[in-house]
Amino acid sequence: MEHHHHPEASAGQPARQPAKERKRIGDRGDFFLNRIQGEAGVNISACYQCERCTNACPVSHYMDIKPHQVMRYIQLGWREELLKSATIWVCLSCEMCTTYCPNEVDVAETINHLRNIAAQSSVAPEYESLAVFHQTFLDVLRTSGRVNEIRLMSAYYSKLNILKEKMKDGSLKDEILVGMSLLRKGRLKLLTPRSRAIKELQKAHHRISGEMD
Amino acid sequence: MESNFKNPIGKVIVVGGGIAGIQCAIDLADTGFFVYLVEQTHSLGGIMAGLDKTFPTNDCSTCMFSPKLVQAAGHVNIKILPLSRMIDLNGSPGRFTATIEKQPRYINEEKCIACGKCAEKCPQKVPDPFNGELGTRKAAFLTFPQAVPLKYALDAEHCLKLTRGKCGICRKICPAGAVDYDQKPEILTLMAGAVVISTGFELALTATEGEFGYGRYRNVVTSLQFERMLSATGPYAGHLLRPSDGKVPEKIAWIQCVLSRDAARNRPFCSSVCCMHAVKQAVLTRDHEPDTQATIYFMDIRAHGKGFDDYVDRARNRHGVQFRRSMISQIYLNPENENLIIETFDHHLNRKIEEEYELVVLSSGFKPSQAFTELARQVGLTTNPYGYLSADFDEPMTTSRPGIFACGGIETPKDIPETIIQAGAAAAEASIFIGSARNTEITVEKRPDEYPIDAEPRMGVLVCHCGTNIAGVVNIQKVLADVKKLPNVVVASDFMFTCSTETQSKIVELIKTHRLNRVVVAACSPKTHESLFQNTLKDAGLNPYLFELTNIRNQCSWVHGNEPDKATQKAMELIHAGVGRARRLEPLYDKSYRVVNEGLVIGGGIAGLSAALTIADQGFKVYLVEKNDSLGGFARNLSLTLEGNSPARSIRYLTERVTHHANISVHLNSRLVSHSGHCGAFQGTIETQDGPVSIQYGAVIVATGGRPYEPVEYRYGKDDRILTQVAFSKRMIDDPSWAKRLNRIVMIQCVGSREPGFSYCSRVCCAAAVKNSIQLKKMNPEAKVVVLYRDVRTFGFKELYYAESRQQGALFFRYHPDEKPQVFDANGTLTVDFTDRSSHQDFRVEPDIVVLSAGIRPDEGTKQIAHLLKLPTTDEGFFLEAHVKLRPVEFATSGIFLAGLAHSPRFIEESITMAKSAGQQAVKILCKEIMTTSAAVAQVDADKCAACLICVRICPFSAPRINPDGVSEIPPSACMGCGICVSECPAGAIALKHWTDDQLIAGIDALFDERKF
Amino acid sequence: MKLSFYPGCSLEGMANDYARSISAVFTELEIDLVEIADWTCCGATAAHSLSQSMSVLLPARNLAAAEKMGRDIVSPCAMCFNRLRFSQQMIQKKLFDIPWSVTGDIQVHDMTRFFAEPRMIASIKERVVKPLVGLKVVCYYGCQMVRPPKITGYTDYENPQTLDRIATAVGAEVIDWSYKSTCCGASIGIARRQIGESLAGRILEKAGQAGAQAIVVSCPLCQSNLDILQKDRPEKRIPVFYFTELLRLGFNKITDPQWFKMHFTDPVPLLRAKHFL
Repeated sequence: MEHHHHPEASAGQPARQPAKERKRIGDRGDFFLNRIQGEAGVNISACYQCERCTNACPVSHYMDIKPHQVMRYIQLGWREELLKSATIWVCLSCEMCTTYCPNEVDVAETINHLRNIAAQSSVAPEYESLAVFHQTFLDVLRTSGRVNEIRLMSAYYSKLNILKEKMKDGSLKDEILVGMSLLRKGRLKLLTPRSRAIKELQKAHHRISGEMD
Repeated sequence: MESNFKNPIGKVIVVGGGIAGIQCAIDLADTGFFVYLVEQTHSLGGIMAGLDKTFPTNDCSTCMFSPKLVQAAGHVNIKILPLSRMIDLNGSPGRFTATIEKQPRYINEEKCIACGKCAEKCPQKVPDPFNGELGTRKAAFLTFPQAVPLKYALDAEHCLKLTRGKCGICRKICPAGAVDYDQKPEILTLMAGAVVISTGFELALTATEGEFGYGRYRNVVTSLQFERMLSATGPYAGHLLRPSDGKVPEKIAWIQCVLSRDAARNRPFCSSVCCMHAVKQAVLTRDHEPDTQATIYFMDIRAHGKGFDDYVDRARNRHGVQFRRSMISQIYLNPENENLIIETFDHHLNRKIEEEYELVVLSSGFKPSQAFTELARQVGLTTNPYGYLSADFDEPMTTSRPGIFACGGIETPKDIPETIIQAGAAAAEASIFIGSARNTEITVEKRPDEYPIDAEPRMGVLVCHCGTNIAGVVNIQKVLADVKKLPNVVVASDFMFTCSTETQSKIVELIKTHRLNRVVVAACSPKTHESLFQNTLKDAGLNPYLFELTNIRNQCSWVHGNEPDKATQKAMELIHAGVGRARRLEPLYDKSYRVVNEGLVIGGGIAGLSAALTIADQGFKVYLVEKNDSLGGFARNLSLTLEGNSPARSIRYLTERVTHHANISVHLNSRLVSHSGHCGAFQGTIETQDGPVSIQYGAVIVATGGRPYEPVEYRYGKDDRILTQVAFSKRMIDDPSWAKRLNRIVMIQCVGSREPGFSYCSRVCCAAAVKNSIQLKKMNPEAKVVVLYRDVRTFGFKELYYAESRQQGALFFRYHPDEKPQVFDANGTLTVDFTDRSSHQDFRVEPDIVVLSAGIRPDEGTKQIAHLLKLPTTDEGFFLEAHVKLRPVEFATSGIFLAGLAHSPRFIEESITMAKSAGQQAVKILCKEIMTTSAAVAQVDADKCAACLICVRICPFSAPRINPDGVSEIPPSACMGCGICVSECPAGAIALKHWTDDQLIAGIDALFDERKF
Repeated sequence: MKLSFYPGCSLEGMANDYARSISAVFTELEIDLVEIADWTCCGATAAHSLSQSMSVLLPARNLAAAEKMGRDIVSPCAMCFNRLRFSQQMIQKKLFDIPWSVTGDIQVHDMTRFFAEPRMIASIKERVVKPLVGLKVVCYYGCQMVRPPKITGYTDYENPQTLDRIATAVGAEVIDWSYKSTCCGASIGIARRQIGESLAGRILEKAGQAGAQAIVVSCPLCQSNLDILQKDRPEKRIPVFYFTELLRLGFNKITDPQWFKMHFTDPVPLLRAKHFL
């Protein structure tokens, strides 16, 4: 029987593209996959690449690695690509991906877990503003047990890089105007109660995670 | 398995009257058993009755299906119990006692003459469930025009009389006095030797699931609703309109895998048929409305059947159906026009795109009915976690309770031919199980001898009122007066319902009293009623060929209802023609001959072995011819099945049984070299090592099998690190330490399948890759397994193993046929380069081995057998069955059947099933003492024949042959009476008896010129 | 009926009007509500994103405090509700060891589900004296209240009904639409405003298309996001109400337009046109 699609290369000729552009498979073990699956309790192996997560995601356009590709990257052990991706910071945790995944892969939790890992790693986040925002939020929370918007925003804007960025893209003026309106309308309160329970929480946190900050 | 109990009852209860139940009932009733066919709804038919057309032939579903319905309805040994449920089963295998609950129809089945008056006058309109509630019907209704039994019913939930005690119109107007508001549920107790469960499946999607806005948005419909929308008998009379505003939709989307392959919604298995179903609907849509765009959203196209990939390619290339490989999450409504918005991420544009569709069809998966779930619990049948009666590998029709068998959609979701095959196989199992009771419970019709008839025609003409169907338009008395004037008419009479049971005895009396020798009935269609009246003639001792049926209902009163005078005139003229032809009719005698009660099976693989045992276990002798020196065939290559069963053990068991079976004579190293005769009486020669052996046989089963494809692609044969799945599986088992040393392997799917020149999917290779990857991962968890595929086709419950394989860590990457993986040797390092279509990345793997999923080809022996038995084959070299949908194990030539890989690639359990089904078809012939051939056959006038061979070539049943005298001869037993050769013969040498030129011309003359009387 | 109340940080600042309307509605419906003493922030997206242990611990302490009182929790904020349920499940699955006792014996309700119970709907209907007839609204639920269903318990996550039922009970004409739980981008709004604006803009656009005159929400983050990000669409502005505001309008307890002064998109003209004010 004649075969029209007889691959050229099987005759021993070189492949279409030079080897250096190609990604390797099988040169890393399953360490990263097993770590994520174990720590986040997510069954990443179940993914069959139907792209339902990527279609469901409201911000896939802003992601450099699409949600379904995140699953593949983890399977292939591509840790660094994931930790420095914009994806993990752009993710809104809106849970669309997790809700619709036919294989019960908790995609949102996976991305969140990557964010957790990235926050504690030395990899510089692609979207610094987002990482800084979350960090600032926690800082405010840790000092007062509750988050007051004025304290949060002033702490956030006082981060050097954030202010610079906001000035550069011209959004600073806009946001100050919004802030003024909020204040005028009574939506921002200077003094809100603090929770004394935060000390107790900090202690528990340190005991459990061994994190000191 | 032989029955191990005494005195079984020769009756079988078949539960579920869809296509599976109907086929199973016919296959049992035709082999000497009495069948109760228990159906929960008002009519037989199941899901198939609601289909418009079927793939891959686009045949009209009803046109194919009706003859089966009529056959079951008219079968003297099938008792249909509509509106009935089995609620309990006691007793022991072979002697079961079943409790059946029969719901009231509120219309007496015996009396209803299906005139339709009740539905016409009923004031209560209700949503029509048969049309997916898209249209309405009345509370007095017939489910669909071809319903069996053809009896109206009252809808107890909506009938005004039954719900509120008002109305009562239908009882007042029913001409047959059939309406009975006081009917109550009945409990019946039935005895039977065996039970077959064929309750099928229903759509898993319900409005409460809320998937994709079903039940929320009006223009989101299910695949079965869409089927009704396409149908000429559907809610929109065959016009493709959408529910919200009755507009022709210009863009339609299909969403695949709705509640299938969805572990999150506890439906992790594949529903097997939805891909082809959607493709067919898209093709039909484009046929109906060429300007309508049809788009299918899918994950993998599962076209794993014979000719299916060709069909998908045609859909794409010829019909312009668009395919989008993308699973969507949610459907949004455009409130301005009720259009539906589908959002997908476009990788080329790197953004979301919104597409608006005017109609969305959800290809929903299936689930067993609630009624079955209750029955299973009551009767104690073990189901799989999803409620199906999935069966054992080597006994694919058995259940957890002896004497209860399963077939069709309740076993696993499957399409029509697989259902038909399994129904036959379940019939075979039941038939073997209670084999000793064959012919003990059946009714055999007894007829009086024919009385001598006068030379001069003595004609009786019976004119039917058909209630008011005919009499409401046609002036019956005027017709009678006219008919009485015709020459030779001895008696003319009219009846309210000529077809009713009591009228038949009156007709017998009339025939005897007036010594009639021709009978003309002027009523309805010969399609439905001719055989009924012919039987009445037989009961009166008159030859059945002396009968003529003139259709004055469909052709007069129905089509000319507004012009009663003209309708009456036409009725008279048609009766003139009928009388004119009838005058020339002659008594004909069906020829009967003794059946050779022995079968021949060609091929000693798993299919051949199973077929031989199916026949032999029912007490008939079988010749089993195998060209090789041992039995087992293709399956000997296989180590383990996906589900972990051992083909080798099966072969050993089957071989053992066949070799020692008293009824089977095995001929190894042998071939069939000559073959002649006809159904029930063939003769042939087997060439054995010890010389030729002449044999006679009543039926043949062709099970010539297949062979593995020997790849020429991907350096196969040039590098011993490249092997096939079959070889890989064997080596893993033979040499576990080798398997444990493997670091990386690459599997490549579709090698030699789905290619130009061989367009079939080989059906089994995806499962093979899944199986072998699981096997390797179990032996060697560290090994990297990379599977390169085009579509993963692990249909049905095999999908669960695909999931397991991924779970074990196998990586599945999809390649495009235009960018085949490249396999090469880079300075001694085996290397595979490929492009992944999901991550849009180019990859390189350096595996230890490459495993090719090489497909299945027909055995070389196919050609010789095809030539010898004059059987058709496909371009790919597989045998071509009589009908791809409804006659999958038969050939157009009667008495020859087909099983196993010779038909197309299939799994072992599917081959076994098919073999049993083919065996049962053969038993239908072998269990008969004598067979008759219709006397209405073609006959060659040897003097006029020029031996031009036109008849030989044109006959669809390969009946004519050139005899030793050098002229064409048509054996009556082989002729099906279609008349094609008669019209094609240039010399006019062929006549079709009962439809001779003389008779036809007499009818035509009488139609136009009554002076010729 | 005894409940404990977990207001969450927003109700002390951005959504202090929501807090006031809630407490008024509970009083009007005669439901005993006790605020959890010394409650702490739920951690929101930040704790979840950066520290798994904080994301469980922060809500856990609040859960423990409510359990001590033996009262089910109602949470008006979708984010807080989600974090409380998440933490409760993590602890019940024994994935986390915490220093307080949390058995999971108490229910965490989102406030809309509490009000959508048949007896609460009946109670609401009894008190409606000024039904909001002719007010066309769409209900917007957002993400965190309904997804993921395994956490939130919402099986009708695509087409939730709680707000719909409440708004119907108060006499409004509720329009079904497809974007009930499509993300509005609030959680990213501050750091990546462009994304937030595009997502919120889409919700507003679709609400307008559906024929809504107002949007009804329960989540303070959704409210402020949808309410504030409308200044670029002056012609198509569409007020965003807390459902408790609708209830109080129906009860005829809001008569002063000043009540709505915290809204960026002023609902007063609409309410006046409909004679609700």
